[in-house]
Amino acid sequence: MASLEINSLVKKFSETTAINDISIRILDGEMVGIIGKSGAGKSTLMRLINRLIEPTSGSIAYNGIEITSLKGKNLKQWRSKCAMIFQQFNLIDRLDVLTNVLSGTLGINFKLLKLLKIYSKKEKIEALTYLNNLDLSDKALQRVGTLSGGQQQRVAIARAMMQNPSILLADEPISSLDPKNSKVVMDDIKKINKQDGIMVICNLHSLEIAKEYCDRLIGLSDGKIVFDGHPSSLTKELAEQLYDLENE
Amino acid sequence: MSEKDIISLCPKAFYPLWKRSPIVFTGYILVIFYFLFCLYYFDFSLGKILSGLSNMKPILVAMFTWNDFFNWNFNSIFTGLAQTLGMAFLGTFLATLVCIPISFVASRQIFKFGLIRFLIKRFLDFIRGVDILIWAIIYVRAFGLGPFAGLLSIFTVDVGTLGKLFSEATDNADARQIEGMQSTGASKISVIRYGLIPQIFPIFISQSLYFFESNTRSAVILGVVGAGGIGLQLTERMKAQYWDQTLFIIILILIMVAIIDTASRIIRKNIIDE
Amino acid sequence: MNDSLLKRHITIYSEQLRSRRLWNIFIILIFAVSFFMSSSIIDFNLSQIIDGFPRLSDYIVKILPNLDINLILENSKTEGSIQYWYFNFKKYAALLYETFNMAVLATLMGFIFALILSFLSAKNITPNIYSYHLVKRILEFLRGVPEIIFAILFVWALGVGPLAGIIAITIHTTGALGKLFSEVHENADLKTCEAIRSHGGNWVSEMRYGIIPKVLPNIISYALLRFEINIRASTVIGFVGAGGIGQELYLVINFNYYEEVSAIILLIILTVITIDISSGRIRQKIIGEMGV
Repeated sequence: MASLEINSLVKKFSETTAINDISIRILDGEMVGIIGKSGAGKSTLMRLINRLIEPTSGSIAYNGIEITSLKGKNLKQWRSKCAMIFQQFNLIDRLDVLTNVLSGTLGINFKLLKLLKIYSKKEKIEALTYLNNLDLSDKALQRVGTLSGGQQQRVAIARAMMQNPSILLADEPISSLDPKNSKVVMDDIKKINKQDGIMVICNLHSLEIAKEYCDRLIGLSDGKIVFDGHPSSLTKELAEQLYDLENE
Repeated sequence: MSEKDIISLCPKAFYPLWKRSPIVFTGYILVIFYFLFCLYYFDFSLGKILSGLSNMKPILVAMFTWNDFFNWNFNSIFTGLAQTLGMAFLGTFLATLVCIPISFVASRQIFKFGLIRFLIKRFLDFIRGVDILIWAIIYVRAFGLGPFAGLLSIFTVDVGTLGKLFSEATDNADARQIEGMQSTGASKISVIRYGLIPQIFPIFISQSLYFFESNTRSAVILGVVGAGGIGLQLTERMKAQYWDQTLFIIILILIMVAIIDTASRIIRKNIIDE
Repeated sequence: MNDSLLKRHITIYSEQLRSRRLWNIFIILIFAVSFFMSSSIIDFNLSQIIDGFPRLSDYIVKILPNLDINLILENSKTEGSIQYWYFNFKKYAALLYETFNMAVLATLMGFIFALILSFLSAKNITPNIYSYHLVKRILEFLRGVPEIIFAILFVWALGVGPLAGIIAITIHTTGALGKLFSEVHENADLKTCEAIRSHGGNWVSEMRYGIIPKVLPNIISYALLRFEINIRASTVIGFVGAGGIGQELYLVINFNYYEEVSAIILLIILTVITIDISSGRIRQKIIGEMGV
């Protein structure tokens, strides 16, 4: 079975150590929640996996292929294989929903015509299908900036799906959403995990949501793993320690 | 779901470009068309440019061969630089002096005569509508070649621009302070002195400095039509094909402008802080 | 106790007042010195003004048209009519059109070059730090040299005509817009770029989808502002033989075709003001309305 293996990963920024010797193994089809207070290194870990930033030392491998040494085209392929969604959605506000979703194909299939916003019919149909699955097909030609936060995050999910990813990295996907929209978005992510069997790694601020949706939780504190296991085995004391004073 | 069903969800997305947003599309086509038309209109061919560039080659080579550097007439070059700075300084300074009273008269808050204000503003618009080089060429005709014509052209254009900016500043001044003075029964002069000037003076100074900075740039080119300064030295050397000295002067100009920019930025920052 | 405090305040205040006064005197001195130095170097004195002004008013009277209110609408053969004043109108119109096209072409080309270079010279998005420094220096040089100086050079290389002017204005526009654009980019939020990078998108895609949609209203409005400036520039760049109506104006001034001088200057003013106003309107509309 395919898996993501992280071995003694370290990331130092000039003064601080954001990730301090982390080793994890995540299997295909798992839905993993990464929990911890802000500044614990959750976001850094996501960015390391996607290679948006370079590790100081250690290794990340997927299916036995070392990720940290990829370059050029292979690196772009890897990035498109592990799709990412963000706390602030990071969409192109001034463009319509469909173009935003289609922009997910820029990594796997770059064409000069795409710089003129011209995409193939096949890709448009695919994009519209994902939007339809997320109940957004009626908004396809609306500007993203006019949508609500929850809708925007679902556009971002559709964009991620356009990449045909093997892994979905979700960096605080619901932090800027209200409870109702949070639920919709988390349900959608869960559906992707269950139906398509895509590995999901999800940074979550809220412990309740993490417990509700994830099969496995990894607790980070000061860049170190302090918990790794099924949500039910997370004790109250440990949880309090994880969140420190920021307990919600 | 079949392909057809999906398409029917949003058929517009599958329209060709010109049908999806015809106005934007036409806009782009027009711009591209006009661009191509202009290229055609000016007979703008790559061959022409390339042959022109090959003509540039000996000029460029000559620019970088400084053989008789020690025989150059540095005296005239540095006099030219000094003249340029002098033109810019005096032009801005005199224009500032003239524009302060103009701005009071053109300001809504002090004088209530609409007609005078209107006439002054249109006159300022007219002055600004004429490019500085055109003023320069007219003044050269009237006063002869030399930096004096340059000074006058800078002065003229500055009156147009500073006059407008100053009167906008007085218009935007806080009315309460002026009314406060008026309510004490003070004369018009004291209203201006104590109600208005403290508010607008820093703005005037910083704008004048800014214009001094941009006027050093304008003063450089006035010499092209004979209005003195470093531009005159530069064009004379270009006409005589002294390309080495041409490059030297261009470098000097760049250095001078950079120094003035930095100095004026520092001073303006200090004035605003105070 | 209270008394001594008051005394101390008074001393501090009077000291501040004194230093302030010293500072003011110092500034006035500097101004006076610069004033006299500048006056002496450019021979600025009252007699020159007094001598010159009659000549200036003579000249202005000469170039003003001899319009006769009774004959103003007569045909071009009658002295005193507008048509007589503008007997060469067709030629002027053609030259104005050429001038306009020069500005359009130079602005468009400069815009394209500036846009490409600005991505390299914006610190936050440049692909590498060397190209950043290199392109930044190049842009500084391009906008540092006045366009009319470039025009003289290109008239040497390409011959008399609008081509030299267009290239000169294009070069200057590239430098000026390139700097402004890269400043706009530097203020742009990079979240979208990060997302596109995280999809495996290349640098060009990042620029196209991450930066351009955000900055477009700003850069278009800068470009329009530049177009207004370029219209002015192209009316005078002909003074050195680089095409446009300036070439004709230079000619009529030097040949003392007095009335034609005012005819052309008036046309230039009208053109410049019309374009300033319409472009200003478009600029106001553009902010917040573009989706590309």
